[in-house]
Amino acid sequence: MADLATRQDPHVRARLVEGNPSLGQLTETVSKIVESRTQYSWYIAIGVTGSITGILGMMLAYLVSTGIGVWGNNQPVGWAWDITNFVFWIGIGHAGTLISAILFLFRQKWRTSINRFAEAMTLFAVACAGIFPLFHTGRPWRAYWLFPIPNTDLYMWPNFRSPLVWDVFAVSTYATVSALFWYVGLVPDLATLRDRAKNFSKYVYGALSLGWRGSARHWRNYEAAYMILAGLSTPLVLSVHTIVSFDFAASIIPGWHTTIFPPYFVAGAIFSGFAMVVTLMVIARWVFNVEHLVTIKHLENMCKIMLATGTVVGYAYATEFFIAWYSGNPYERFVFINRAFGPYWWAYWSMVSCNVISPQFFWFKKLRTNIPFMFFISIVVNIGMWFERFVIIATSLHRDFLPSSWGYFRPTAVDMLTFFGTFGLFLTLFLLFVRFLPMIAVSEVKGMVATDAMHDAHHAEAVKH
Amino acid sequence: MIQIQTKQSGKQYWRSLDQLSHTGEFKDWLHREFPANASEMLDGTSRRNLLKLMAASMGLAGLTACRRPVEKILPNVRGVEDYIPGKPFFYSTVFTQGGTGMGLLVEVNDGRPTKIEGNPDHPYSLGAATGYQQASVLGLYDPDRARIPMTGGNPSEWKAFDDFAKDHSTKLGTGEGLRFLSDRICSPSLLAVKAAALAKYPGAKWVEYNAVTHDETAAGGQLAFGQPVITRHKFDKADVILSLDDDFLGLDANTVLPQKEFSRRRRVTSAKDEMNRLYVIESQYSVTGAMADHRLRMRSSDVKGFVADLAAELKVGGNELQIVGGNRDAKRTKWIKAIAKDLTEHKGKCLVVAGPRQPAAVHAMAHLINQALGNVGETVVFFKSAADTVRPQLDAIKELAADMAGGKVSTLVMLGGNPAYTAPADLEFAANLKKVPLSIYLGLEVDETAVLSKWSLPEAHYLESWSDATAPDGTASVQQPMIQPLYFGRTAAELVAQLAGYKDQRAYDIVRNYWIAKFGGKDEAEKTWRKSLHDGVIPGAAQAEIKPTIDVKKINGAIQGAAAATDALEVVFVQSASVYDGRFANNGWLQEAPEPMNKLTWDNAALLSPATAKKLGVAQGDVISIERAGRGMQAPVLIQPGQADDSISIALGYGRVECGRVGKNVGENAYRIRTTDGFRFAADARVRKVAGTYPLAQTQEHGSMEGRPLVREANLEEFRKEPKFAQEMVEHGPLVALYPDHDYSKGYQWGMSIDLNVCSGCNACVIACQSENNIPIVGKDQVIKGREMHWIRMDRYYSGTGEHPDEDPQVVTQPVTCMQCETAPCENVCPVAATTHSPEGLNDMAYNRCVGTRYCSNNCPYKVRRFNFLAWNYGTEEVQKMHYNPNVTVRMRGVMEKCTYCVQRIQEKKILAKREGRRLIKDGEIQTACQQTCPADAIVFGNINDAESRVAKLKGQTRDYSMLEELNTKPRTTYLAKLRNPNEELAEKHNG
Repeated sequence: MADLATRQDPHVRARLVEGNPSLGQLTETVSKIVESRTQYSWYIAIGVTGSITGILGMMLAYLVSTGIGVWGNNQPVGWAWDITNFVFWIGIGHAGTLISAILFLFRQKWRTSINRFAEAMTLFAVACAGIFPLFHTGRPWRAYWLFPIPNTDLYMWPNFRSPLVWDVFAVSTYATVSALFWYVGLVPDLATLRDRAKNFSKYVYGALSLGWRGSARHWRNYEAAYMILAGLSTPLVLSVHTIVSFDFAASIIPGWHTTIFPPYFVAGAIFSGFAMVVTLMVIARWVFNVEHLVTIKHLENMCKIMLATGTVVGYAYATEFFIAWYSGNPYERFVFINRAFGPYWWAYWSMVSCNVISPQFFWFKKLRTNIPFMFFISIVVNIGMWFERFVIIATSLHRDFLPSSWGYFRPTAVDMLTFFGTFGLFLTLFLLFVRFLPMIAVSEVKGMVATDAMHDAHHAEAVKH
Repeated sequence: MIQIQTKQSGKQYWRSLDQLSHTGEFKDWLHREFPANASEMLDGTSRRNLLKLMAASMGLAGLTACRRPVEKILPNVRGVEDYIPGKPFFYSTVFTQGGTGMGLLVEVNDGRPTKIEGNPDHPYSLGAATGYQQASVLGLYDPDRARIPMTGGNPSEWKAFDDFAKDHSTKLGTGEGLRFLSDRICSPSLLAVKAAALAKYPGAKWVEYNAVTHDETAAGGQLAFGQPVITRHKFDKADVILSLDDDFLGLDANTVLPQKEFSRRRRVTSAKDEMNRLYVIESQYSVTGAMADHRLRMRSSDVKGFVADLAAELKVGGNELQIVGGNRDAKRTKWIKAIAKDLTEHKGKCLVVAGPRQPAAVHAMAHLINQALGNVGETVVFFKSAADTVRPQLDAIKELAADMAGGKVSTLVMLGGNPAYTAPADLEFAANLKKVPLSIYLGLEVDETAVLSKWSLPEAHYLESWSDATAPDGTASVQQPMIQPLYFGRTAAELVAQLAGYKDQRAYDIVRNYWIAKFGGKDEAEKTWRKSLHDGVIPGAAQAEIKPTIDVKKINGAIQGAAAATDALEVVFVQSASVYDGRFANNGWLQEAPEPMNKLTWDNAALLSPATAKKLGVAQGDVISIERAGRGMQAPVLIQPGQADDSISIALGYGRVECGRVGKNVGENAYRIRTTDGFRFAADARVRKVAGTYPLAQTQEHGSMEGRPLVREANLEEFRKEPKFAQEMVEHGPLVALYPDHDYSKGYQWGMSIDLNVCSGCNACVIACQSENNIPIVGKDQVIKGREMHWIRMDRYYSGTGEHPDEDPQVVTQPVTCMQCETAPCENVCPVAATTHSPEGLNDMAYNRCVGTRYCSNNCPYKVRRFNFLAWNYGTEEVQKMHYNPNVTVRMRGVMEKCTYCVQRIQEKKILAKREGRRLIKDGEIQTACQQTCPADAIVFGNINDAESRVAKLKGQTRDYSMLEELNTKPRTTYLAKLRNPNEELAEKHNG
């Protein structure tokens, strides 16, 4: 259990790893999750999530074979759950990059226990997100025209003025860099697994670990590569969601056309990403008995970030309203009044209560160290952040300039099942990840054990004098 | 005939095609041979239907593979004079509706009529066409049309009928018991055949019946003048017009002439111009009411009292006219005084018109007022009617029904019109039809009458057969076929000629010989005949004017007895703006065309005023039961601001049960409560709410402009003081574009100007665009979802004035289509550059480049882009494909589409100009489809770089404004602001 006395003393750094495990014990704890015999519960879990993924597959097949009309999208709401889900999933991914890259550069050592997990989440979230821009097109078999690649039909560039093209670059870069970063970090641990493996899996891990032998030169190159990738990823944390927000900000539609979007979207993305990490981490550390590696401190820190970003998001909501009034633009004004009191009032107030009010509980230490409570809030925040995207997209579109064209969007069962299916995909990928790869960055945590030991020594010295 | 029992258990085997064909399922498929277009698009059962269809078509293949050409039209392989493949021909023809012919020009592409346009040489068309006429081309290719003669419900063939008819006509003797029933005839050749038939069978009777009639108009003339007259209003001569429940700009006109004439007097080019003034008294909000400067909502049954009081105020008819008026309230009195004063001040330049729903007395009063104010010969002229007396159609059909019930009718020949569905309910026509030993029905569809008739015969569509028709002033036109009859249908004249043993048996001979004889002189006649076919107008056939005098005493009796006030509601039967009397029920374009005022598609509804709805405790979409005369019907409620209180309007023509796939069971059948004593309106309806709600598919659900300057409007006086009021309504800072502007100073720069002051919102342009640009229909469910595809739509806004803005609003309509913005928001967001700007200023759309992100549509502030959410054109049968314009791509699912100013027409004329070695296209040479058909000439298109072009001049007017100009979209389509010309005495504060 946590040493409360130590943690409450602000001069004293909390321990990053509890229970003083030896390096061997650490390796054992993490590796055995992968090496032990597959539990039935895992099969049951993947059976369930696999089936949900199957629903996703069926829904997409139906969509492609029949048309966008199977969703509820209409005139004037050309984008609805499709782009809402896209922004939602992309946002989820942001916490992973933030934890792995920015916190790395800021030397936030506590990140080591959760970074692998968070990065995996980023990748899987981006995979889920990527489905929507592809399949929301009316002719997905032509969607590759968004890439600047030659094609036999038309020797044409994409339209570089379109924020959707910027999006293509932003998201594909993000996916690539995140995957590389994640994989580079995995190499030393894959080598550990290779070394411990007894059956044919050593060939698989062997191939994946790229000949890692742990030599000093390897470590030096590894550290450099990791640092460079962290450097590359850092601007991506800000740029991806900034560019996603340009899809809206660069348009002409009131409620979309606003300069506040980039910081507002980035804060929201980090907010939702941390909520998702908390949701998953609370379950994972309990299931896999790694509570001493992913400590209450980690969770508490994430709650603090949620509090901070949630408040930023709330501030952005308030600013939008203020500017709508202050600008004197009647269309802008109408959109915001309509958001709060129009036909979609329920979505707006769900968003506000979930995103602005619920993280405020984390001002209280008791609540932000209460695991069931933070789990509950993290779910609430995820729901709220989905609503935020829905509110921005659907309520701005459904009533724009000409009242003659006003409409209303109602989701269909296909809309709902497609979104539901992406959770199946996300969780299936996660289950595969925790089963076959080390979910905690062993090599990095080992460094933390050393850090803790050093701090202990310093502390002991300080007490002595 | 032996009926096959389908209830038999176990597997059933059929031994012959005949046997198979007796099953209900087969019959169903015989007439519903092809998979659905829109209504079954997402129907879960459609796959099952497809399998059924395949099975049925197998059976059918053996039955109908016996098509043989009867009439010859030159096949293209032999080459047609002047025919260039890919170039359309234009033929003149004539369209008949409500006993009136209107001349058309029909575009024929490779032997297929594809587009209907008005005949500029025809005096009642002047180049424009109505929505019904535009959409009739779709009816030609309707796969649900009647295809083969049926007898006793079983498939037969023409030869069998011919044999039967030959045999039967010998048994008819003098024709006692023989009855003919047709629509009102305006075809001279059919009249000749009719005369021959009645000569051969002196005992026979010929009954004319139209569900939508101008009977009372004729009766009113008879009442006033003691002789039947044809009235012609000259709306362009009148400074002040009073409409008494007459939707002369909309449903109550069979031709476009009133709109053409009326709009001439609404055209204002500068502050000095004068404008006419229109007062409308009506119960249901009509497009005429929307155009009105002053509109008074009033129950249709109260109009008689109103006109009586107005006549008293005007002191027309001297002491001889004795009047007992209706209920008089302060507002009504004020109106009567103001209108009377205005009319008196415009003697000889004013016009009072009465609607066909109003009784003869109101028409007679209108004649009386017009005469007293010296309008006869000025704004209203009369022609002599061909008939000596007017016999009301209702009397005739009542007698016919009584004869049928009494067994006096042995042979009933029905020439279209679907009387089993449209006849007044109390005549029990359908039940009586079963009592007639021999009934023969010639119809386009297998409708309610066809299934009850002993013989039902497929009729030839007007685009595939010979006939002729006259306009109200006697101008005749020949109806010529553009295509061989698709299903070997015959014309009414052919059928009657066959039964009567007329000298000519084929439609061509009947029509041609009639006119050749009439023209006289062999060579000259041939020449005149050819010229008539070419011009679409038969010269010298127009009638002479007459000046009848009014017998005031006769009117006295009719004008008395204003409606007593009861607590019952009035129910008004109106023809549908979409399906007319029900005959266009299977026409998808018309079903999906939004009703001009309430924007309802694919249904009719009981229109109630907000106050009446409140009184009844019903809300929009609730279902009410309307009962009168011991009959009842149910209908959904649609709350229509501006509807008269205690008056329910309901459109006829819906609730068809024997109909093709598009129109079957669409809406509710209002004929069920329409009886001979309440034929036009009846003030004795009881209404109660019944359980349940009903979804209504309206294309526009929000009626307020939310204070936004979208339609800009002012009074004439305000306009004179502030000629630039429209441009000054929006203030904005400097407009800066992110990207550099294109150079638009050279070459053609296309632009459009839409004059909101003359646009009545009649929908003709919507259908014209649909026809020209191969726009699909989507069906009711998809309209509810907001996926209708119209490239041009008619926005309708209510503007509140007066005490009760919700109850009694003014209406403005605004055609909205792609504005072709110079800095188009759609263009820079398209990731694949599928929509780009042309050097001529068009916002082009490359369908085959579009991947369908819908970003352009989201970013379009005018929301004019339309997305193919589903494969709307999938499953279209070959025959349906024949209506497609070959110059316009048929779009697949997943791509965006929108108006391109009819770019195919622009290209065609550019090519023509180049071929002719001309440098420039002449102004007005290119007409967009919407512009061409606009009866009010509200839309003008042309080259804005040419300072002399009409469009450039219109854009130079002070009323010119761009919608949402503050967004810096620089639209190429601009509007001319709307003006009204109110009477100061009735003026209410304008809140524009």
